[in-house]
Amino acid sequence: MLAWLLGEKPTTPLPALYEPLEGVRLPKPLPDAIEAAETKITTLGNGLKIASENTPGATTTIGIFIDSGSKNETPASTGASHLLERMAFKSTSNRSHFRLVREVEAIGGNILANASREQMCYTGDSIKTFMPELVEILVDTVRNPIFNEWEVHEQLSRVQAEIAEMASNPQCVILEALHSAGFVGGLGQPLLAPESALKRLNGGVLHDFVAENYTAPRIVLAASGVDHSELLSVAEPLLADMPPVPQPAPVHNEYVGGDWRQAADFPKSHVALAFEVPGGWRNEKDSFAVTVLQTLLGGGGSFSTGGPGKGMYSRLYTRVLNRYEQVHSFTAFNSIYNDTGLFGIHATSGTEFVPYLVDIATKEFIAVATPGEVTEVELQRAKNSTISAVLMNLESRVVVTEDIGRQILTYGSRKELNEFIQGVQSLTLQDISAVAKKIISTPLTMASWGDVVHVPRFDQVASRF
Amino acid sequence: MIVSSILRRARYAWQRVATVTAFRHGHALAVPDERFQRYNSPVPSRIDHTPILSTPELKLTTLPNGLRVATESNLSADSATVGVWIDAGSRFEADATNGTAHFLEHMIFKGTKRRSLRQLEEEIENMGAHLNAYTSREQTTYYAKVLKKDVSAAVNILADILQNSSFDEDRISRERSVILREMEEVEGQVEEVMFDHLHATAFQYSPLSRTILGPAENIHTITQADLKSYISTHYTGPRMVLAAAGAVQHDELVRTAQESFKNLSTNPITAGELVEKEPAFFTGSEVRFRDDDVPLAYFAVAVKGAAWTDPDSIALMVMQTMLGAWSKNAGAGKHMGSELAQKIGANDLAESVMAFNTNYSDAGLFGVYAVAKPDHLDDLAYVIMHEMARLIYRVDSDDVGRACNQLKSCLLLHLDGTSPIAEDIGRQILTYGRRIPLAELFARIDAVDVDSVKRVATRFIFDKEVAITAIGPIQFLPDYNWFRRRTYWNRY
Repeated sequence: MLAWLLGEKPTTPLPALYEPLEGVRLPKPLPDAIEAAETKITTLGNGLKIASENTPGATTTIGIFIDSGSKNETPASTGASHLLERMAFKSTSNRSHFRLVREVEAIGGNILANASREQMCYTGDSIKTFMPELVEILVDTVRNPIFNEWEVHEQLSRVQAEIAEMASNPQCVILEALHSAGFVGGLGQPLLAPESALKRLNGGVLHDFVAENYTAPRIVLAASGVDHSELLSVAEPLLADMPPVPQPAPVHNEYVGGDWRQAADFPKSHVALAFEVPGGWRNEKDSFAVTVLQTLLGGGGSFSTGGPGKGMYSRLYTRVLNRYEQVHSFTAFNSIYNDTGLFGIHATSGTEFVPYLVDIATKEFIAVATPGEVTEVELQRAKNSTISAVLMNLESRVVVTEDIGRQILTYGSRKELNEFIQGVQSLTLQDISAVAKKIISTPLTMASWGDVVHVPRFDQVASRF
Repeated sequence: MIVSSILRRARYAWQRVATVTAFRHGHALAVPDERFQRYNSPVPSRIDHTPILSTPELKLTTLPNGLRVATESNLSADSATVGVWIDAGSRFEADATNGTAHFLEHMIFKGTKRRSLRQLEEEIENMGAHLNAYTSREQTTYYAKVLKKDVSAAVNILADILQNSSFDEDRISRERSVILREMEEVEGQVEEVMFDHLHATAFQYSPLSRTILGPAENIHTITQADLKSYISTHYTGPRMVLAAAGAVQHDELVRTAQESFKNLSTNPITAGELVEKEPAFFTGSEVRFRDDDVPLAYFAVAVKGAAWTDPDSIALMVMQTMLGAWSKNAGAGKHMGSELAQKIGANDLAESVMAFNTNYSDAGLFGVYAVAKPDHLDDLAYVIMHEMARLIYRVDSDDVGRACNQLKSCLLLHLDGTSPIAEDIGRQILTYGRRIPLAELFARIDAVDVDSVKRVATRFIFDKEVAITAIGPIQFLPDYNWFRRRTYWNRY
């Protein structure tokens, strides 16, 4: 029948895919209830940590997470982290870029590097069988890059194209602006290499930056879907000989608040109001409350697809987006770091409406900080969404690896999931209004982009809090 | 004999390249640290993955009304995905009602006889669950992501919206503008538009040519009766699969399904019969939209591909991987194993290129999609057609081995989380009537070698009609006959 339909015959001498293939050795099925794996952590003599969780499934994600980012850059090395992200998996002293690409293709792996303000990560995914190959490539690229001049040049021109592209991406511009206006010191430094730094950056700068910051006690190798002892047997010989350098003093960083605005040829106005999250991730109780607060406020775009469950009953949706059709988007966001963070609202509208937009955002901040404004039902909904979002994200081995790596860099260990769930469950209405109050008592940071003519003055907005 | 000599030559060429590279890098590569060269090799090898390919058993039960319930449990998980996969999509519509399947996808979340819109939305939001849906040419899916304790509640909601949706007239008219707005967004995405046009031209005058959203005039005119008749014709027990993955117990799910899916339509017609009545016909043809005011040209060229169940479809997947994908921003650049990628990267011919391989129940599309600046379109077209036709004549066994390994990885890496697993179960049961065990899938991939690639390429590419779609500044894109001529070589 198939041949009749297609008018020709298949050439592969195997049965059609609806029929089982004879003679295949099928492995024994796993039991339905696989014991939940725990996170195992080994600290090497030089302070480097190797951590893993043996998640079920046929694949593994392995990552090297480093406590280094744009906050560690000096005026001479501004933009180094951004360039390092692009220079990841290029030539090392043991393998050329060409060879590395072919090796990764030979195992069918995926590799990815990502730079952020506080952390650098190099991750890879592959079938479990290829764990040793993947670890070897990851460690080699982190430990032994040679930054060939021609490769650096090629990537610098890519960086240039990238920052030109980013300059017209409001989300990106606003987030960079909030950091540069709000912080003095480490976090105030740009994550995207600025145009002015491109001429200064070269292989030598990268070498020095890596030598100074990629030190054993600041590195975590995290993995999901691997047996811990097997991982150790491969990774330890490759990492144990890194010198034990003492941890440097933490980078100076202070939240001060401020204003940033840029006129751009753009028909809409983007405005963001933000405040500090004092204590950041390491202030655990507050960080739980801030996460729930963000879900509680929620928000999004005036037009979005997808079924129920995307936060249609969050406060910013019901109180702002459903009420004012002039508002194009209205979203609560946070960027939390080890010891501090930002919490705010990013909003867009046509230029005439901006004064009202800022006024609405101000009122929403003040409302959540006023006891009695948020209802028990809203809070319960926000708590449930926060917990289910975390649990659903942790289904993914990629997320598990990232969670292990980042938590160990921040806390030195991986927190029990239950601790988080109970922490969220035990939050009360008072906790939420208290944390909101604490946040809006910090200095205001404001950023606007696009048609900024009608954006209210900074001191005028700041005086309302 | 010839094959092995080519092989040896390839290996030798590789060594030569390696030596040259080492020399150029001078001291940097002169003393590599052996510890870092223990495991990897740039030459792909075939490894037996059987020991790690075990998954929890797939349990499949067919209910008396024909509904199939399939689960892969992981009881230690905290969350689950449960959804309904339906053998229905825009292909089964008529020209006058094209867009109904997608319209239905929108209307189904708008309240039932038992739950008002607000009740439905609040119930989902309060649980912290996610309800989602998508429609394609041959399949429609509604699924929920929930926590362990809410699985039964989710099944009840899915059953309710699929059987008792009320489709209020005023909701329908309000949704028209939402769909039209979605259409505007889709029309802004050139890639989506390209593939719609490619289907429209390749399968002209047959059902796969219809778009999923349907033409705007239909969105204005689709009625409540159209929606109801679509449900009663197509949403029948035997054409639906209730698939679940994660924290679900099969027996419990079967029980809940039995209780809640009681009013499914009993229309006896099957998707197979509908396909046979109105099969897909591939017509060699092209459609071009020249617009010199935009900076980039987009084009796709395709031959007729394989049906889902065709045993050759696995080889086509390997061939798609061999052609690969390349983009200006990809880190691997010109060093990729795919010769298509190398030529495009080294000569700066395009912004991005991607091979595609789409399957349907009685046909498919296999080809290459490219985005490029207007000045080198002829060279780009040459490279693409050369690499496609090369699969018929000159295939390197390392290239096949590498593509097999990449394909295996790609299939497994995709199954990350309960939603992709449930999706895989639902889709496979609809298309293959069963879930292919990973070990069998790998065995079928391993059966692909140089000879089978050439054979399958001969069947699908050699002297075959092509379908072309092009948008943008395309004045230098060669004409149809030029492409058609390059589906075979006379000298090689």
